Amino acid sequence: MEARKPLLRSPTYRVADAFDANELFFRRGWTDGLPIIPPTEPAVASFLEEVGIAPDEIIGVEPVRGRRVTAEKAAINAVMAGCRPEYFPVVVAAIRAMCHPEFNLHGCTISTGGSAILLIVNGPVRRRLGMNATHNVMGNGNRANATIGRAVRLIIINVLGGVPGDLDRSTLGHPGKFTFCIAEDEEDSPWLPLAQERGIPPGGSAVTAFACVSPHQVMNEWTRDPRELLDTYVAAMRANMLTYSIYPGNYVLVIPKQHREVFVAAGWQKSHIREYVFERARVRRGEWRRVGKASLVGEENADRECCALSSPDDLLVVAAGGPAGGFGAVIPPWFGNKSMAVTKPIPA
Amino acid sequence: MPLVVLDPTYSEETADWPLASAPRWLAGRTVGLLDNGKKNSDRLLDFMGELLLREYGVGRVVRARKGDPSRPASAEVMAIFRECDALFTGVGD
Repeated sequence: MEARKPLLRSPTYRVADAFDANELFFRRGWTDGLPIIPPTEPAVASFLEEVGIAPDEIIGVEPVRGRRVTAEKAAINAVMAGCRPEYFPVVVAAIRAMCHPEFNLHGCTISTGGSAILLIVNGPVRRRLGMNATHNVMGNGNRANATIGRAVRLIIINVLGGVPGDLDRSTLGHPGKFTFCIAEDEEDSPWLPLAQERGIPPGGSAVTAFACVSPHQVMNEWTRDPRELLDTYVAAMRANMLTYSIYPGNYVLVIPKQHREVFVAAGWQKSHIREYVFERARVRRGEWRRVGKASLVGEENADRECCALSSPDDLLVVAAGGPAGGFGAVIPPWFGNKSMAVTKPIPA
Repeated sequence: MPLVVLDPTYSEETADWPLASAPRWLAGRTVGLLDNGKKNSDRLLDFMGELLLREYGVGRVVRARKGDPSRPASAEVMAIFRECDALFTGVGD
């Protein structure tokens, strides 16, 4: 270990090359299992310059354990993830969102339930960074999407201690724990972007963080009726309520172009979708009897109606996906309303 | 080419959250048992409470339950343990 640098306070290590750096980081458990970009001082400094904040500035405090995420540590992990400096403001905004008490960052990252953090990016920053909102939007292929989501996970591991088997006690985990970041297809949608629905002024950029379990892909290419289309999404939500968690929280619907055309032709806005889904995404607690959960059903509560959403506003509708194919997604919450989605602005 | 790389991990934990020194004996002491609200955590702590009184001569056991296992205990709940010499918290499931 070398003496501290004047600008950055983190301990430093001298390594032979990038391969050696990777071996050091793997050995110490500082990665997500994939190789990293070595976080050198010039690289980290360039990230901090991009956002114009001092290394010791605290960009978020995890509310339960009181761990402070400094700009320096966030930048180190963002370099490791493969971000470019211009991606860093999105990472900073994501950390700010995740440290909001409503997000319950500690709970959703240590839980035995398999939760990942989905980031949804809105506004001009998407185009500036070349983010993907269309083909394969929830998959691989785009550097900004992939590395911004990865940076957040590396920060959870290295700064917050969310190491699998240590503080992260998840039974199964979630593929999105490597990275899970999408952009909304604002250019090809007549709808209000998600961030503006959540209070960000028009023309502003923002990121929404959402603690979620596995996306459930739905398919319906055989109707032009918006109600029938939504019945398919609602069926997936009801299935989640029966097989995973019955408690109300945020749900994300990812609606692709082919489905959006059906809604737009019928004059439906996102608000219409929310109202329709709110009324129908419901189950009776007694339905748990037919999915192996009879022991949780009592005579007094069997007829109780349980809603997937506490209010229509808890449904986050996102326009995204490739131009062809009737494939959408329902992304359920980690555990009801124990963690709520939080949106934070990304400075221009 | 040699590189100098930065440590990505949190390094201020000890300063922020010093560990309390563990009591050297429990006999006659007041011990708190904080139920974290998980299913069966009450049973686990019932057992622990009996064990502490019977086997370790603990003077008094104080119990309280968190409203939500995923969130910190409220100030009101923590105030119940103000007089305790030691505090156990337990999971269930």
